[in-house]
Amino acid sequence: MQPILKINLSTGDISEVKIPEDWERDYLGGASLAARMLYPSLTKELDPFSPKSPLLFLNGPLTGTAGPAVGRFVVCGKSPATGLWAESNCGGFWGPELRFCGFDGIWIEGKADRPVYLSINDNHVEIRDASKVWGMDTYESQTFIKNESGIPGTRVLTIGPAGENGILFAGFICDHGRAAGRTGLGAVAGAKYLKAIAVRGSKKVPIAEPTLFAALRSASNRALKNDNMSRVFHDLGTASVADYADYLGAMPKKYYSSGIFEGVDKVSGSTMAETILTGTSACHACVIACGRVVSLSDGVKRKGPEYETLAGFGPNILNSDLASITRMGELCDRNGMDTISAGNIIGFAFHLFDKGIITSKDTGGAILKWGDIEIVERLLGMIVRREGIGNFLARGSREFGRRFNAEDEAVQVNDLEVPYHDPRGFSGMALVYATSPRGACHNQSDYFTVDLGQADSSLGMQYYPRHAGREKARNVARHQDWRTIFNAMVMCTFANVPVNDIVDLVNAVCGYSWDTEDLFLSGERAWNLKRMINIRMGLTQVNDKLPKALLEPYQKGGSAGYVPPFSEMLAEYYAVRGWDAVTGKPSKEILAKLGLEWIALES
Amino acid sequence: MTVIFPSPEWLQILEEKLNTDKQYAEIARNWEGDMCVDIIPSGPITQRIIYYLDLWHGKCRKTEIYTETPVNKPKFLLTATYQDIARIMKGELDPMQAMMTRKLQVHGSLAYMMRNVPTVLDFVRCCRDITTEVIS
Repeated sequence: MQPILKINLSTGDISEVKIPEDWERDYLGGASLAARMLYPSLTKELDPFSPKSPLLFLNGPLTGTAGPAVGRFVVCGKSPATGLWAESNCGGFWGPELRFCGFDGIWIEGKADRPVYLSINDNHVEIRDASKVWGMDTYESQTFIKNESGIPGTRVLTIGPAGENGILFAGFICDHGRAAGRTGLGAVAGAKYLKAIAVRGSKKVPIAEPTLFAALRSASNRALKNDNMSRVFHDLGTASVADYADYLGAMPKKYYSSGIFEGVDKVSGSTMAETILTGTSACHACVIACGRVVSLSDGVKRKGPEYETLAGFGPNILNSDLASITRMGELCDRNGMDTISAGNIIGFAFHLFDKGIITSKDTGGAILKWGDIEIVERLLGMIVRREGIGNFLARGSREFGRRFNAEDEAVQVNDLEVPYHDPRGFSGMALVYATSPRGACHNQSDYFTVDLGQADSSLGMQYYPRHAGREKARNVARHQDWRTIFNAMVMCTFANVPVNDIVDLVNAVCGYSWDTEDLFLSGERAWNLKRMINIRMGLTQVNDKLPKALLEPYQKGGSAGYVPPFSEMLAEYYAVRGWDAVTGKPSKEILAKLGLEWIALES
Repeated sequence: MTVIFPSPEWLQILEEKLNTDKQYAEIARNWEGDMCVDIIPSGPITQRIIYYLDLWHGKCRKTEIYTETPVNKPKFLLTATYQDIARIMKGELDPMQAMMTRKLQVHGSLAYMMRNVPTVLDFVRCCRDITTEVIS
């Protein structure tokens, strides 16, 4: 493994850190390795906005290779939104370029005394003045820094005004709208006066067995390109699932309160492909190319919405206009805001207005009418500027609800807004949201794909109907471990690559001789480590819950009348995980099995 | 009556089923497109079988059996080994699961297919309904 670059923005010190070999082997890389590295730093007392709060950008062992959909990196730390473990991964080209510089990650601590950005050109690392870039949106910032560097091929990861202004769902953007959006780490960068990190490298990524790897990744990419799901994502984007998710009653509408919406068929990957789509875009070396390029009436080519943005600014707020959804997605990207949380929070404001809990007195005179996209645009601007009601929306949905004595109405788990895969449509998502280490998250396990049918027996999973209950708890745990491996690699979850291929690829790159269970042990270890980090930061069994709205049945639609049997599912999940039924803590036996005895001794 | 899959009689009875089933007629009312199911020999089946079905607005206009891919390309081509197709017929393998785990390859307009997943699933229901025996 290449060294980690460590930068203290308070002192300007720049050093290199070598990762112990046993950590590499036990945690693989990415978010799992980050959890091990950050464990000593992440305490309950740590203020995420303090200079001591670390930001750790890590690649995986395959990042920068031409392996299948592995061009991603992850950023980790303590979330200012949740007060818990934070991780958010991102595609594009930035992660690979960092590896080409000879670094597998960057550890940032301290706080600069003025806006700065980092410039990394192979081994040459500089902390540069960013006063001219501060205030720019994420696309302007990338262009400015690339021009200033004068080095063709420079890749820039940047925050936008949302991160500068401490919005709790601010993230990072690189390339054309590739986002590390969730958990608010963009605001942590803003608190450190860190605007951006520019990278340009010329080195080769280390591979233990390059000839073997070349043959394996070539075969794997060929198979991946022909995979049904890859072709669906290529042709229709991630919004391809919208039609079927709607049919099943799994795409929330009207802020998770309605199972139907008349205009829903106008907002899907299929409709996009038939109307505004002009091309596709791909992350580094990816054969899928799920990114959408669309053209609206002004003729400008833009990033088209992926599923979450489409659902969040579409049916969630009763909007069926693809063009306006595209524009809201771009507004969030330019400002460096997570579209999942932004769409959710604005839907929440509409919901509270609808119920009379907030009125035009609270909104500065604005009438929040479902589907009114001008109001949505205005609210997004107010959030970024922290103006009027926007200042309260900027703190996340639970805090916003608390201000109006309506905390229970907020559709969030542990202060992270729920994405648009409804547990009433896919019961497995109930456990996923409740037990995810970073709050309600579909990237810790996109179990809805298993509920749709992607139950691969080679992963040790069985197929259960989408509304099955406690019997699927073992499957969910197994799938969480599987996706923890992806988040360690850091690999795109849209890549449907068989587990045996992944084992072979990891072995060829790292020089290991792992089998499937070694790989899964690594995933389970990291899942439990993140759990222990959160417990140390104050998480208890009480946190493992779902918001009220997700436990109330829809009246109409494909999931009408159904709610997941959450309590019994959670009890079974604890048993499967080897977690205490009362406290939710991993047992000493489980920690010992996973080589985490050192935590058991500490706690 | 015994209806064995795969057999010419099975395909004939499926055509009749698709033309008389009220649920299928309703769900598939907007479907427009013919389809080939390409069964790759495996297990007890040693020769390639291709079933052709011309499906149109909730009805089946025509069926054929081929041993090679027809010159006129159908709107959709579904390919799987006989053993996986047999598992789908017996209800042991969900069709979406087969599609998402590389057991059933789908070629054709994916935009159309994703819009019409319920039609595909109801087509499979009709196939299962008529099947009394699967060669194994």
